[in-house]
Amino acid sequence: MGKPKVSSDWLAGCAGCHMSLLDMDERIATVLELADLRSTPITDLKEPDATGVDVGILEGAISNTYNEEVAQKMRQRCKILVALGDCAVFGGVPAMRNFFTIEESLRRAYVETESTDESGKIPDDPELAVPTKVRALQDVVPVDVFVPGCPPDADTIFYVLAELAQGRIPEVKGDKLHWH
Amino acid sequence: MVTVTIDNKKIEVPEGTTVLRAAQSANIDIPTLCDHPHLTPYGGCRLCLVEIEGARTLQPSCTMPVSNNMVVHTDTQKVQDARKFVLTLIFSERNHFCPYCQVSGGDCELQNSAYGQGMTHWPLSPNFQRYPVDASHPYIIMENNRCILCRRCVRACGELVGNFTLGFEERGASSLLVADTGVALGESSCVSCGTCIQVCPTGALIDRWSAYRGHEEQTDTTQTICVGCSVGCGIDVFTRDNNLVKIDGNWDAAVNEGVICKVGRFEPMVEKCDRVATPLVRKNGALKAATWEEAIAVAADGLKSTKKNSEDIAAVISTRQPVETLSAFKQLFAGKLGSTNVTTLEEGAFTRSFANHAEELGKSFEGKLDALKSADAILAIDTDLIHRHEFLGFVAKRMLPNGTKLLVIDQKDNDLAHLSNKFLKATKGKEEDVLAALSAAIVKLGLAKGKTSIKAGDLDALAAKTGVASVDYLDAAYVIATGEKPVILVEDGITPAALAAFANLIGAGIISVKGSANSLAASQLKLDHNLDLKSSKAVFIIAGDDEVSQKFVKHIEKVPFKVVQATYASTLTAMADVVFPSTNWLEQDGHYVNFEGRVQEARRAITPAEDMMSAGETLGALATKLGFSLDNSWEKELHQRVASVELN
Repeated sequence: MGKPKVSSDWLAGCAGCHMSLLDMDERIATVLELADLRSTPITDLKEPDATGVDVGILEGAISNTYNEEVAQKMRQRCKILVALGDCAVFGGVPAMRNFFTIEESLRRAYVETESTDESGKIPDDPELAVPTKVRALQDVVPVDVFVPGCPPDADTIFYVLAELAQGRIPEVKGDKLHWH
Repeated sequence: MVTVTIDNKKIEVPEGTTVLRAAQSANIDIPTLCDHPHLTPYGGCRLCLVEIEGARTLQPSCTMPVSNNMVVHTDTQKVQDARKFVLTLIFSERNHFCPYCQVSGGDCELQNSAYGQGMTHWPLSPNFQRYPVDASHPYIIMENNRCILCRRCVRACGELVGNFTLGFEERGASSLLVADTGVALGESSCVSCGTCIQVCPTGALIDRWSAYRGHEEQTDTTQTICVGCSVGCGIDVFTRDNNLVKIDGNWDAAVNEGVICKVGRFEPMVEKCDRVATPLVRKNGALKAATWEEAIAVAADGLKSTKKNSEDIAAVISTRQPVETLSAFKQLFAGKLGSTNVTTLEEGAFTRSFANHAEELGKSFEGKLDALKSADAILAIDTDLIHRHEFLGFVAKRMLPNGTKLLVIDQKDNDLAHLSNKFLKATKGKEEDVLAALSAAIVKLGLAKGKTSIKAGDLDALAAKTGVASVDYLDAAYVIATGEKPVILVEDGITPAALAAFANLIGAGIISVKGSANSLAASQLKLDHNLDLKSSKAVFIIAGDDEVSQKFVKHIEKVPFKVVQATYASTLTAMADVVFPSTNWLEQDGHYVNFEGRVQEARRAITPAEDMMSAGETLGALATKLGFSLDNSWEKELHQRVASVELN
């Protein structure tokens, strides 16, 4: 058996969980020794291999139809799906949008912001993804491993990746378990 | 006693103990949310479910009393699953997204419970219903979106504070924490004691000041006492990097058992005035910054050169200062400098008559706080328990639903009156006349337990003297004299002999609430004279962080040489010839004697600025400069005079 293939992507999030991943410093070399890092938002390859990967990691919540597609594609192509960070696990900060209607949020974002002049307009290009209610990843596709945290610590991410790379399912508990 | 087996541990507990308390007594941990050791069990959150052999379903351990030979399991798979399910439902109800909540990261009992159950995610997603946020209150934000309906705040508001401001409207998922009948919290009957925040297990009640200033584990805690008034409530002061984060009531404090008022919790958070930063000395008519050595030298020279007669130097100290300082103050000015004009800002107003009465009797005669906590009838006479000594007001109010009767007598309006069973507004005559008329009414009703020379037939004549109808006295007599354990609360102004005679008539205890934090200690040190400045040539005032009245400032204006030690700049410091800066109450150590004679230690919670001295240290330096030495004999001095209430 070769090195397990790992892919990651980000959805409606802030990229902070990937920053936290990079925060593991030189240990990332250990991860690369153990795993074959395939597509990620910070490498050239942008989609998980059509032939499949062993571990898929998703950061961010599902906030529109494009996020849904990415999540579904990742789910189809990976064996173990990891929800990384509070947005993927719970919906997180983006889910605060659900306390308003989508129309209200769009108007606030594109028309009413303090930096927008009277030309502000809600984008309506048919090619754009359609905003939906913001959901946790598990509400769209089945999730195998939950790693909460805003963001999860680099130590936790290293532990999770190292366990997965060695064919074990990580247990996020004790010091590694926090929701903030 | 009954025997119960919990997790294979045999435990003996008194009958009526709940399964939860029994388990806790044996160090068996059962997670809870709505339970609080100081509140009556409610059984609202269901997190404490346990398996009881023979019971059809899981039972809430917080409300389930033990029975003999009961066998309980607290950690079976069934119980663990139930706990996770309960938490799952709670998380699905409202907005429990942690990252932007001020209590997330250690201070949230809900989050900690989820960690305890190893929950990495919510099996059910939230329903995103919006609930109102009430930010109308100056100290508290009510965030209904984070509420888990445990009603700790509601119970604390009623059971501990007796205020009954908080309650719930609607039912089920629509349940809403509201103030009074749904008015804004800031416009409600809330007394801003903040007990609701202290018991809230989530971030639903937000302390505007302490929010986001640091979690409890990031802060240092100092157990000390509040010096806001004579009650001396135990408090926990939380600081971070020497900055004040928050103040909580100390649950283990015998006096207040966790409850404090706004004076202790919120008011210390805001320094409303400018601090005096350095010593100041008047040169050519203007106050100029000086070194401590300079300022002490000028003060010492001034005092030495004025002192010819015993009235030349007047010395006044705040009763917010610790006994050590009061004692040093007395030693220096009354002892070493021989002044006869040494007193406090209170001038003994709240203690003198009681102290003298105790000396006449040769023994203490006042009751303790415990008597009030178990009283079945309370008479508050000329005492404001709503705006002063608030904790005592809480105690009185919280007992009313249990059947304790309250009689309020006052010459003015009294904000406790609307809660009383009877209010007598005696606009004419003295308190002694009111007590005489009330005694006559008690005799008339045949409720007297002691002897009196006052006759039932005197009632009408005595009542007329006070401007209150006889029939009202009869009502009042019934309220106070039918109690088995009545307590009389007074503030000042009453002849103690008349009060004692009345107390004897109904078998009541007497409690004088006194004034500031160290009123009683000052009284014990005989710092209780009226201040007489007619022939004073110099005055030394230790105000510390106490507020000084404009009347007092005017009073001392004409004294030629004035030395003031104060924490905050004021009209008082502006007119002084020498000003010493001072630590505030959180920056100094010392002992205080509360209204019921309890000697308590205040501990320094905040390290003062480098060049800052307490009044005690300043007195020491001044004494040295004058060639005197002061001893630390305050404990002995406290007991040199019989106190109106036993010291302990």
